[in-house]
Amino acid sequence: MKLFAFVVFTSACFAQVDLSGAWAPSRATGPSAPAPPTPILLKAPYKAAYDELQAKIRAASARGEQYAVKGLCSPYGVPTMMTVASYPAEIIQTPKQITIVTEAFSEVRRIFMGKTQTPIDDVPPGYYGRSVGRWDKDTLVVDTVGIKTTAPGYQNMPHSDQMRITERFRRPTPETLHDQITIEDPITLEQPVTYTLVFRLLADYEMVEFVCDNNREYIDENNIVRLKLHDK
Amino acid sequence: MCKKIILGLLAACAIVAIPVRAHHSFVMFETAKQTTLAGTVTSFEWTNPHCYIEIDVKDAAGAVKHWSVELGSPSILQQGGWKFNTLKKGAEITVTLNPLKNGNPGGLLVQATLADGKKLGNGPGRGAQK
Repeated sequence: MKLFAFVVFTSACFAQVDLSGAWAPSRATGPSAPAPPTPILLKAPYKAAYDELQAKIRAASARGEQYAVKGLCSPYGVPTMMTVASYPAEIIQTPKQITIVTEAFSEVRRIFMGKTQTPIDDVPPGYYGRSVGRWDKDTLVVDTVGIKTTAPGYQNMPHSDQMRITERFRRPTPETLHDQITIEDPITLEQPVTYTLVFRLLADYEMVEFVCDNNREYIDENNIVRLKLHDK
Repeated sequence: MCKKIILGLLAACAIVAIPVRAHHSFVMFETAKQTTLAGTVTSFEWTNPHCYIEIDVKDAAGAVKHWSVELGSPSILQQGGWKFNTLKKGAEITVTLNPLKNGNPGGLLVQATLADGKKLGNGPGRGAQK
């Protein structure tokens, strides 16, 4: 019995973990709660621009309006696609590739396992960039570069084409997944930003189609979100 | 030493706020106010990023005013008992909504009462009063 427990323990410590399944954004309390997010410390002039954006968002909200920070049906991309409202993300795991499909806006990111990362300047800028993964004991470590500067940033923060995102995925409990995200950007950030997303397993959940083909919300000339009404 | 342990325990027990992004805020709706309307469904759109109920509402004098009611997405609604064919054109319905702040005839659904008396909210934990 002791030998069996030892084998299970060592397997958990040194073998890759099955991350497959549908995972819904959640929050953790108690011993498994991750550390709080680190602050966003931006370099000038990015800080001034960020503060101005935040002020516009607050002012619009005070007027009962929403200041648009992204195109309403455009993708979120990495890393913000990982938590959009309460929509789950599905992880499909194979030895050579781990694929993450989010329900909101049907976004897809592919993590190539065991491959070498391409230099940042050689990756065509996109919403998902290029991600490579490796196992560090029970933790999946993912390196992503090549996120276009117009893709939404964490907490709306700006980023450059030199941004690098490191994620550490692990299952602290059978029902829980943590995605610790560290953003490094030598152009815009004074220091890396780290935050952890918490997910809960949705057993037997069937992902739902989400094609954004009926968006009645639009952005007016003042960058405010409006709702188009029908008259019949 | 004890201080370190206590601080560690406090940190471990802290509720960690996760930076979840909403598709959009609901700031355009007057969430502190509710309006109830009884009318006839002209269309029910089971679409993303939101579903919509279009209804014609008659006033006491018989004049018809058209309203657009925004709901959550199909994924959210189906968890609260909605189906793509829950409403058909011509169905009678009563809706309670948070009206648009700008006064236009539209709002965010709080609760729908169907012709058979069934009550549906705007997704799980969003307004259904059963």
